[in-house]
Amino acid sequence: MVQFTVEELRGLMDNPINIRNMSVIAHVDHGKSTLTDSLVQRAGIISAKNAGTARFTDTRADEQERGVTIKSTAISLYGSLLDEEDLKDIPVKTEKNDFLVNLIDSPGHVDFSSEVTAALRVTDGALVVVDTIEGVCVQTETVLRQALGERIKPVVIINKVDRALLELQLSKEDLFQNFSRVIESVNVVIATYFDKALGDVQVVPDKGTVAFGSGLHGWAFTVRQFATKYSKKFGVDKNKMMTRLWGDSYFNPKTKKWTKEGKHEGKELERAFNQFCLDPIFRIFDVVMNFKKDQIPTLLEKLEIKLAADEKDLEGKALLKVVMRKFLPAADALMEMMILHLPSPATAQRYRMETLYEGPHDDESAIGIRDCDPKGPLMLYVSKMVPTSDKGRFFAFGRVFSGTARSGLKVRIQGPNYVPGKKEDLFIKSIQRTILMMGKYTEPIEDVPAGNILGLVGVDQFLLKSGTLTTSETSHNLKVMKFSVSPVVQRSVEVKNANDLPKLVEGLKRLSKSDPCVLTFISPSGEHVVAGAGELHLEICLKDLEEDHAGIPLKVSDPVVQYRETVAGESSMTALSKSPNKHNRLYVIAAPLSEEVSKDIESDKINPRDDIKVRARILADEHGWDVTDARKIWCFGPDTTGANLLVDQTKAVQYLNEIKDSVVSGFQWATKEGPIAEEPMRSCRFNIMDVTLHADAIHRGGGQIIPTARRVLFAATLLADPALLEPVYLVEIQVPEQAMGGIYGVLTRRRGHVFEEAQRPGTPLFNVKAYLPVKESFGFNADLRSATSGQAFPQSVFDHWQVLPGGSPLDRTTMPGAVVEEMRKRKGIKTEVPGYENYYDKL
Amino acid sequence: MATTSAPPILSTPSEHVFHDPTASTTELKESKLSEEELYIQYEIPRTIREIRDGRWKRIALQFPDEMLVDAPRVFERLRDGLARERAESRRQKAGRNGVEAIGSGVDAVKLEDETQQSTREADSDEAEEKLTILADTSYGACCVDEIAAEHVDADVVVHYGRSCLSPTARLPVIYVFTPQPLNMARAIADFKATYPDLDDRVCLMADIPYHHHVETLYQKLRGEGYTNLFPTEIQHDPSSLLPNRSIPPSAKENAENLKEYSIYHISTPPTPLLLTLTSRVRNIHIHSTSADTSEAPRTTIALLRRRYAALQSLPSTPTIGILINTLSVRSYLSALTHLQSLLASHGKKAYTFVVGKVNVAKLANFSEIGAWVVISCWESSLLEGLGGDFMAPVVTPFELEVALKGEGSRVWGGEWEADFGSLLKNDGLVNGSAHNPGETASSEANWADDPSDDEEPTFDLRTGRYVSRSRPMGKPRAVDPSTTGAAAPAPPSSALVQRAKGDVAVINGVLSPGAEFLREKRTWTGLGSDYEIAYERDEEGKIRGAAMEVGRSGVAKGYDM
Repeated sequence: MVQFTVEELRGLMDNPINIRNMSVIAHVDHGKSTLTDSLVQRAGIISAKNAGTARFTDTRADEQERGVTIKSTAISLYGSLLDEEDLKDIPVKTEKNDFLVNLIDSPGHVDFSSEVTAALRVTDGALVVVDTIEGVCVQTETVLRQALGERIKPVVIINKVDRALLELQLSKEDLFQNFSRVIESVNVVIATYFDKALGDVQVVPDKGTVAFGSGLHGWAFTVRQFATKYSKKFGVDKNKMMTRLWGDSYFNPKTKKWTKEGKHEGKELERAFNQFCLDPIFRIFDVVMNFKKDQIPTLLEKLEIKLAADEKDLEGKALLKVVMRKFLPAADALMEMMILHLPSPATAQRYRMETLYEGPHDDESAIGIRDCDPKGPLMLYVSKMVPTSDKGRFFAFGRVFSGTARSGLKVRIQGPNYVPGKKEDLFIKSIQRTILMMGKYTEPIEDVPAGNILGLVGVDQFLLKSGTLTTSETSHNLKVMKFSVSPVVQRSVEVKNANDLPKLVEGLKRLSKSDPCVLTFISPSGEHVVAGAGELHLEICLKDLEEDHAGIPLKVSDPVVQYRETVAGESSMTALSKSPNKHNRLYVIAAPLSEEVSKDIESDKINPRDDIKVRARILADEHGWDVTDARKIWCFGPDTTGANLLVDQTKAVQYLNEIKDSVVSGFQWATKEGPIAEEPMRSCRFNIMDVTLHADAIHRGGGQIIPTARRVLFAATLLADPALLEPVYLVEIQVPEQAMGGIYGVLTRRRGHVFEEAQRPGTPLFNVKAYLPVKESFGFNADLRSATSGQAFPQSVFDHWQVLPGGSPLDRTTMPGAVVEEMRKRKGIKTEVPGYENYYDKL
Repeated sequence: MATTSAPPILSTPSEHVFHDPTASTTELKESKLSEEELYIQYEIPRTIREIRDGRWKRIALQFPDEMLVDAPRVFERLRDGLARERAESRRQKAGRNGVEAIGSGVDAVKLEDETQQSTREADSDEAEEKLTILADTSYGACCVDEIAAEHVDADVVVHYGRSCLSPTARLPVIYVFTPQPLNMARAIADFKATYPDLDDRVCLMADIPYHHHVETLYQKLRGEGYTNLFPTEIQHDPSSLLPNRSIPPSAKENAENLKEYSIYHISTPPTPLLLTLTSRVRNIHIHSTSADTSEAPRTTIALLRRRYAALQSLPSTPTIGILINTLSVRSYLSALTHLQSLLASHGKKAYTFVVGKVNVAKLANFSEIGAWVVISCWESSLLEGLGGDFMAPVVTPFELEVALKGEGSRVWGGEWEADFGSLLKNDGLVNGSAHNPGETASSEANWADDPSDDEEPTFDLRTGRYVSRSRPMGKPRAVDPSTTGAAAPAPPSSALVQRAKGDVAVINGVLSPGAEFLREKRTWTGLGSDYEIAYERDEEGKIRGAAMEVGRSGVAKGYDM
C-alpha cells in the first residue's frame, strides 16, 4: 500500500502518458472483484480504513452478502515498472516510471450490463477475466463486444488456474491446451468485431497481453515475466525469449537448441512453456500440497523465495498461497501488463474521438479530445450517477476528455436530448466541487485535467443518468451510450399507505437516476412501473427503492412483459380516413419493416439525424429499399427515434408540405400507443399513398389532420394482419451432461428451444444456448435448479423480439388474444380491440 | 398579355366537397308520448303556473337533443295553456273591476283614472308571453344555455331533461326534470338482494329524472323493515358531499361519517359523479333502469388511476390551455382568474380558449398546448367520453391543483372532485404551497447549490425522463401562506434580467412559449419555405439588386407618368 497525498496524486494526473484508465470485465463469477482486491492491496493509493478486506470494490452490503457485484466502482492505483528499462517497451515514449491506474471493477451478471457500458465509456483499456475451466461465456463475449465497439483495447487474464491444478489435476500439456483454447476463443470474438482504427488487438501470450493466475491465491504471471527471468540465464534477448516461451516451441536439452519440432530422435520433447513456465508452478503445488516438507526449503531457495518466520510454519493451502504470492505476485504481473499494453488516454483518445464525439471531427472540442488537451475546451462525459449518503443527491461520475474540470468552473450541461443551437436540455451552471472517487470514499480535489476519471458535486439535478459537460458554446454532445440490455421486464409498485405516495414518487426519481438502465414511469393506467433488464436487476432495484430511495413499505405486482405491436403483412386494402370536416383524406398502407432495418435503427446504425442521402444509400444497398422511397422517409417513431417509419409515396400532392408536421405528430402519437393494446409499435412501415386536401388552409389545419393521421395509421395497422411482438431472452446454460435432460424439459414447458449445444473441451460440462420468451422466464432459474438438482447455471439476456405465436391478437380465443385482453383489462380500457371499421372511412 | 379566362380558384369547388354518406346516427323518431304522458312528463301545468307567478313574458324553452321531438308539442301546450290562463284571469279581473266601478259614486272621475291605470297594468300583465325553443346547446345539455337565452332576450329559461343544477349567473331557471317511470318491484328486489341486512346504512339516490321515486321507494323499504335508510333530496349545491343532494344528518357534523353509508343509486350516474362519490362513501350500488344490464360500468378505481396518470405529465408541461366550456355556471370567471394565477405562480404559460362545443379536432389545432384544464359544469368536466381521444391530457381544475402541488406533498387517495366551486373556497391555501418542499428540506449545508442560470429540469413521471423548461415563465414564487389575499398575483418584478441571445421567443415583450414551440417544432413556415431563395451577392456579401428608379405615382384611376 502506497501512501499518497492528494497533491502527489494530482501531480500524476498532469501527465496523460502515464495514466491508464481501465475496466475489469468478465462473465459473472469469473473472479473480477477478487482479482481487483489483489491489486488494491498492493497498489491502492489513498489509505482506506478497510482496504485489504475482501471485495473492496463491492461497496454495498448486498453485494458483499450475495458475492455479486451490482454497481461498478472506481479505484485509483499507483504503479511502476520493476525495471526502468521496461519503459522502452511501452509503444509511446514514456519517461517517468510513475503510473496512475484508474481501475473500474464492473459487475459480471448480464442484468447489470449497463453498468459495464458506463464503465467502458470512461476507460481506454479492459482487463478481460476468463475462468480457466468455464472458458469464454456469453457475458464474456457481450462485454468484449461492447469494449471493442467503444474502441477499448483488451488484455486477458486467465483466472482460477489453481482450480485446474487442484480440482481437475490437469497435466501441464492439458493445461497448455486449455489455455490456448481459451485464448483462441477470445481471439475469435475480437476478430469478429475487428475495428480498423483500433488496429489488431488480438491477445497473444508471447506478446505479454495474456496473464495466467489465481485471484483467490493472489498470484499471476505473464510469459514476459518468465522471459525476463530466463533471458539473463540464457543470454538471449528478452523479446526473442518471449516468442520461444509460447506455442510450438521446444528446448532440446540434448542439443541445447530451440526447435519448432515436438520430437527429437523419436522422443517427445517438453514444450518450452510447460518446461519453463508451468514446471516451477507445478513443482510448488506438488511439494506443498503433497506435504513433501523436506523438499520445500530447497525449492524455495532455488526460486529465490524468502519466507517470514511465522510463515514457515504454515502448511497446505495456506502455505501454497504464501509461496505463490511471493513467487509470482498477481499485482506485479497485472500492473506490468496494464502499463505496457493498455493505451494511455493520450494514445487512446486519438482514435476514440470519432466514436465519442457526435459533432464534426474538426471543431475545437473534437481537437481537444483528440489531443487530450488539458488546455482545450472542457469536454466531460458523465456516465453514471452515484448515490451519496445525503439522500436524494448524487455524485456525477465521469471522465474529462479535454480541458480541465475544476471547482467553480461555469459549464454548459448538455443532456442526451440536446441539439446544438437549440435550448432544450441545456443548462448553465458552475461545478460545485470536483472529487476523487475511491470505492466508497471520496477525496476533494482542486481540479482534474484531461484523461482522468472524477466525480462531480452539484450537477446531479440537471442530468438524469448521463450527459456532456462542456465550456464550448459550439460543442456537440459526446455520444449517448447504447446499452446491450433493454428494460423489458416490468413490475408495478404501490404504496401500502396512501400518505406515502410522495415518498414513492421521490424514490422512483432517485432510483431512475441511480441505475443507468432502469426505467421508472407511470403507465397510462396509473400504475407506478419499474422496468429492468431481468428478474435479478428488478429485484435489486425494488429492494433499493423500498429500503433506500423511498424508504417505505411497498406492494409489488407480479412481473409483466412489455410487448410491441407490429404488422405481419401488408394492409389488405389501402386504409382511408377522412378528417372530421370530411374535406381531407389520407390513404395509407402499412407493411412490416424487415428485422434487419429495425435492428439497425435500434442500434443507431440508421439514425433519424443522419444525412438523408447517406441514409438512403444504406437502406438501398444493405436492405434493398427503393432509393426514392428511402429519401422520402418523413420520420421515425415513436419519440422520433423508434423503429417505425413513415414514408411519403405520394405523387404531386398540393399542399403536402404544409400538413407534414401534422401527419408526423399523428404518427408519433399512433406509434407510441398502438391500436391493439396501447403498447408501442415496432417494425412497421407506413406508406402514405395519396392525400386529398381542402384548398383552404383553415380547413386542413392540425386539428383536422392530426387525429385523422392517427386514425388512418390505426386502420392500416389493423388491416395488415396485426401481431404482438414479445421479447425473447438468449439463455446460456452451463450444465454437466447427466443433468441435460432436465434442461430440455424445463425449456419445452416454457416455449423455449435450444439452438446450440456444445461440450466444453476437456470438461464434462455442456454449454447450451436457447431462446426463451421473457414472458415464460419468470421463475425459470428456480425451476431449472430444481430440475437439475442445482447443477445448471443459466444466464439470460434480452436478445430479440419475436411474434407472439398462436394466432391473431384480435381473436380472443387465441393466446395473443388472451394476452391482449388481459393487458387491456389492466390498463382500464375496453377489453375488446376496436375493429378497423372504427378508423376506416368509406369513400 | 395573357388574359385569364376564369377567376383563380381560391376555394374548393363545390363538386370536390366530400359529402358524408353515413346517415346521422340519431334519427328523429316520432314522438310516442300520449297527450297525458306529455302533460305529466313535461310538467306543463307546473310550468305554466310558475311562469304566471313569475310574470315572465319572454320564455326560453331549452331541450336536450333527444327530447327535441317533443318540443313543438310542448311549445303548443304551453302556449295554449298560458293563453287560457290569461283569458281566465282577464275575465276575473274584468268582473272585479265592474263591481268596484258600480260601488263608487262620488269619486268616479278619480276612480276612473285608477281603473285605467290598473287595466293598463293588467293589460301589460296579460300581454302574450313569447315562447322560444332553444336547441343545439353550446356546451352540455345539462347546463342552462344562458347565452342562447339572452339572444332571445328571455326573462326565464325552462330547462328540460336531466340537469347538473349548477348555479347560474344571470337568469332564473325553471327546471323540469322530465320524470321517468321506474319498475318499483324490480328496484325493491334489487335493493333487498344487495343489502340483506336490515340495519345497513344506505343513502337512496337517483338520477334526476328518477328522483321522484326516491320517496316512494323509501316508504316501501321502510315497510320492509329497513331502519337506517336515508332518502336524499335535491339541493342546488354541486359542492355538497353528495353533489346536489342533501346528506344524512350525521355526515353534516363530520364528513367521515358519510363513509359508513352505502349508496343505492337508481340509473347509471354520470362518470364525474361516480368518481366524486367513490372516495366519500363505503360503496355504491347502481340499479340499472334499462332492462339489459350487459354493459357493466368500468370500475371507478381503474378510471381514477387513468385520471391519476393523466395529471402526472402536468408538472412538466410548460404550456397549459385553459378551456372554458361553460358560459353560464356561476363564478366561472373567478375560476378562470384563479387558474391563471395558479399557473402563473408555477411558472407555466397559460392560454385561455373558448371553442364552443369541444371536440378532438378543435383542441388538436393547438399543438403547442401540452395539457388542457377545463372549466365547465361539474357533470361535463370529464371530456374523455367525447368520441376519440385527445392528444394532450384534459384535466379538471381539481386535478390541476393536485398536479401542481409539488411531488413532496402530492397525495392521491382516490378523492376526486368535479366541481370547481369548492376549490375557490380554499383558495389561499393552494397558492401557498411551494413548488417542491421535499427537495429543499433534504439539502444540507454542504449541498447548498450555487445559483444556476437555468431552471432545473423536471422529472416527467409519465415518461420517466427529464424535461427542461417546464416553467417557462420563471421560478415559482413562493407566496407567504400567512397573507390570505385570495388569488392575488404577485406584483410583476421590476428587476432587469438579461436574457441570453436566442432565448425563448418574445411577443410584445412577453415571453411566449407558444411562439417558441412554433418556431422550433414547425417545419412548414409558409409558402416558399421549402425553397431557398438565393440572392445574387457581390464580393462584400451585399445583396446585388437592380438599381432603384422613380416609379409611377398617383391613384389607380390614372397614374402620373
